[in-house]
Amino acid sequence: MSHTLHRKGTTDNLSGDYVMLAMSAKGVNAANSSRALKDFFSIISKYDWVNMGEVKVGGAYVASFQDIVGGVRDTSVAHAVFHDKDEFARVIAEVKKADLGLSVTISGLLGIMNEVLTATGLSPHTVEVSLGIKGKTELLPHSDLLQITTMCGHGMVSQALARKTLIDIKRGRISLEKATELLATPCACGIFNPRRARIILEDLMDTWCMDEP
Amino acid sequence: MRINPGKCVGCGQCRVFCPMGCIAFTRKDKGGQIQCRINEDECVDCEVCLRANACPTDALEQPPAAWPRSVRGTFSNPLITHKETKVPGRGTEEIKTNDVTNRYKCGYVGISAELGRPVLGARLRDAERVFMVLAPLAVEFEKQNPLTSLLADPATGKLKEDVLGEKVLSCIVETIAPIERAAEILDALDKVAGEIESVFSVDLISRVEEDLSIPALEMLKREKRSYALNGKINIGLGRLCIKGADC
Repeated sequence: MSHTLHRKGTTDNLSGDYVMLAMSAKGVNAANSSRALKDFFSIISKYDWVNMGEVKVGGAYVASFQDIVGGVRDTSVAHAVFHDKDEFARVIAEVKKADLGLSVTISGLLGIMNEVLTATGLSPHTVEVSLGIKGKTELLPHSDLLQITTMCGHGMVSQALARKTLIDIKRGRISLEKATELLATPCACGIFNPRRARIILEDLMDTWCMDEP
Repeated sequence: MRINPGKCVGCGQCRVFCPMGCIAFTRKDKGGQIQCRINEDECVDCEVCLRANACPTDALEQPPAAWPRSVRGTFSNPLITHKETKVPGRGTEEIKTNDVTNRYKCGYVGISAELGRPVLGARLRDAERVFMVLAPLAVEFEKQNPLTSLLADPATGKLKEDVLGEKVLSCIVETIAPIERAAEILDALDKVAGEIESVFSVDLISRVEEDLSIPALEMLKREKRSYALNGKINIGLGRLCIKGADC
């Protein structure tokens, strides 16, 4: 599924949000692919990631790196999230050099990703774009909250949790750091970007009212 | 998902984690013990509340679900792997392995409508509405998608009657069609949007040509349709033989 697509935000805060995903294809090259997936995580671990994970084990805010790697199977989907585009480019370059044979998909601002690919001597193979939300959009929560909740594409981060953490920060009940950790925990794949969540929350602290719908 | 009334102390710690917002406080009589209760008709069995470990008395329980209730968990809980696709989650590998599967070929597009995303969830009757406007266009519904397996009649888009009232966190109507049909499919999705009780997110997948042009994005411009600045790219590193796999 397109769980790393449809992330809502501004150009500014999306410029600190890059997801990388690696997997083998079921029925094609999945047999005995777990070693390469573990190698992928080993590469990721050398860089300044902000989240990582595998859905069956969990994200980095609920599981240790050893548990995540230990839980890797041939059918696993490996995820990692980066805040800095230059660091992201360095990771892509090393993954390319490792030539693991895994399929790798990246998500982020299309313009920046194309720049990164060009710099690393790669070309896009297939692209996927979001054409927006249709239907009863009037039922959706405030777009500020969607910037936070849509960082988990499986919808595990509730709007109530986003609203509560924001209000608790304003009331001084929870630190920004704890709030972003709490928001990251329900995302089983580890694709929630807590660094970007912190930036969004810091911004909203100044403008968000206690009685926002 | 249920809350065991014999264990719940009514602290409400679980409520905030529920993506569907369907955990409420209740009590039998005025002055009686306050407890939490899950509206099981609105609950999608995603188990987020359970995994949050928020309940101090272990009162949250996921009872085994019989058909058709069982579809809620398989579409809503990403930890459950679909029997059909062997992929956890609600969709397929789609773009993610296209460099080795060639699922989306040059000249074709993938267009998907993910019902219930973001945030709201959706009844499967909403998915049927989408299927029914697309079926007459003779598009190919992705056979590997678990939602496709719930079709009673692919020619009309009718789903199995007994699943229509089931609510899921999201589910994806996934199509593949020649690029010439893309505008027609997007028009049909615009049309059905007014009949949907929830929301759906739309995406479009396209192969990149050897000269790095992307015909589907050019089509979107011609049709005066916008797309988000952020998206996904398969970067073409997949090989039929994976390192260390002895192939």
